[in-house]
Amino acid sequence: MPEFLQHLANAVILGGTYALLGIGLTLIFGIMRVVNFTHGELYTFGAYMAFMLAGMFGLNFFASLALAATLGMALGALIEFALLRPLKGADIDTTMLVMIGAGIAMQAGEQLMWGGVAKSVPNPFPTEPVVLGPVSVGPIRLFVLAVAVVLLVVFYLLLNRTKLGIAMRATFQDPDTAALMGVNNGLMYTLTFAIGSGLAAVAGALLGPIFVVTPTMGDLVALKAFAIVILGGLGNIPGATIGGFVLALAEEFGAGYLSSGYRDAMGFLLIIAVLLVRPQGLFAAKERIG
Amino acid sequence: MLKLKDITVCYGKIPAVRNVSLEVGEGELVTLIGANGAGKTTTLRAISGLLPLAAGEITFRHKPIGNTPARDVLALGLAHCPEGRRVFPQLSVRENLEMGAYLRHDREGIARDMERIFDRFPRLQERLHQAAGTLSGGEQQMLAIARALMSRPKMVLLDEPSLGLAPNLVERTFEIISDIRKEGTTVLMVEQNALAALEMCDRSYLLETGQVVERGTGREMLGNPHIQKAYLGG
Repeated sequence: MPEFLQHLANAVILGGTYALLGIGLTLIFGIMRVVNFTHGELYTFGAYMAFMLAGMFGLNFFASLALAATLGMALGALIEFALLRPLKGADIDTTMLVMIGAGIAMQAGEQLMWGGVAKSVPNPFPTEPVVLGPVSVGPIRLFVLAVAVVLLVVFYLLLNRTKLGIAMRATFQDPDTAALMGVNNGLMYTLTFAIGSGLAAVAGALLGPIFVVTPTMGDLVALKAFAIVILGGLGNIPGATIGGFVLALAEEFGAGYLSSGYRDAMGFLLIIAVLLVRPQGLFAAKERIG
Repeated sequence: MLKLKDITVCYGKIPAVRNVSLEVGEGELVTLIGANGAGKTTTLRAISGLLPLAAGEITFRHKPIGNTPARDVLALGLAHCPEGRRVFPQLSVRENLEMGAYLRHDREGIARDMERIFDRFPRLQERLHQAAGTLSGGEQQMLAIARALMSRPKMVLLDEPSLGLAPNLVERTFEIISDIRKEGTTVLMVEQNALAALEMCDRSYLLETGQVVERGTGREMLGNPHIQKAYLGG
């Protein structure tokens, strides 16, 4: 039982970050319909920015996180503006190839800039775990979970309660009609891509201090983000949130009770199983927000 | 108020509308009639900035609006209620109405206008938090019209408001449109139901294969033998 609770706690903590990655990608892939192969690289970018700001420039850890997220948004906006906007109306294959190219270029750029040696992001949290009954958790992991939950809530409020969020949803449901209401669709596309990218970057910046930062850290993460999006149903934001936690649970319990060597395989096994039974994802399309 | 001078609109290389000129005066209710594919919707979409002009000029309140983004056309006071209602299906009724007021920033004015819309369409208030896609066809049409009015337009373009509605709802829709006009909003309406369109309008234009072939007051058009034969069932 204590072991079970420990795994559960680990899964919930990991799930928060997975959820951030998942909703970021479901915005871009599920709602904007861009198969985004740069998502993993934006995650890596966020982690390197946190390293650069906190580790090299000695900036305050929390300010570094916020700045890394902002820079991730800016990079996302740039990608949308420079690569996707000129491709408006292009074939999905063309867009996909361009995004694959952009992803490879970004990874190569990270390799060039930072080298292949893993970096670690310094953080101000004590290493002594917090012990709650049978469960012990590193303080930084609690912080990561708290930030993830806050961001998830802020994101929901943005999308559902603000004029901007309603306009974003309207644009992706019917761009022409949204334009007739006075929405600047181009701006909505850029903003949506930027927000999705910012969520990926913040996930990277949050996990950077827990794991280590390497140029290829985004590869597996990108695959997992796609898995989460598909689990939750394309474009379904609550679905992607739950999908993130489901994937984390599968990984933690799979690693804990079966074999830790198969940790990353667990999630994909789960996805194969889900897709066999429910090809539309766990949550039907009619519940989607976008 | 609105003036189209020799406009041509193309899909690719093929012109869908050729050398169309028409005019709508302040306070008028003008209809555009014609068969499917005659270019009526294309004309409206060019006016509101959704389609580029290949040639010609459009002015609204003496300002050129040809090839102007839809957002800027709306900001000048010209709203467009598109064909097929096009409510945002996954947004609630309230969110749809809020989208109608997207360019406005006067919170109180918006709230007041929403109240007025509920007086006129009580059904929308009952369904305020429901997704618009779950409304009936008639309710969606009311919502689409109400949404267009939320921008407080000086003029509104209505594209086939009666399309796909039951006969009693068609009549109700036309009553509402007459009311809107009585309240001082200029209306340019595309309508396939030629009889109804001609009976309620001040003036009308008949489009055939992308060109204006007849024009006149509603009464004149009703008496026109060509129109009687081809559009009013003899």
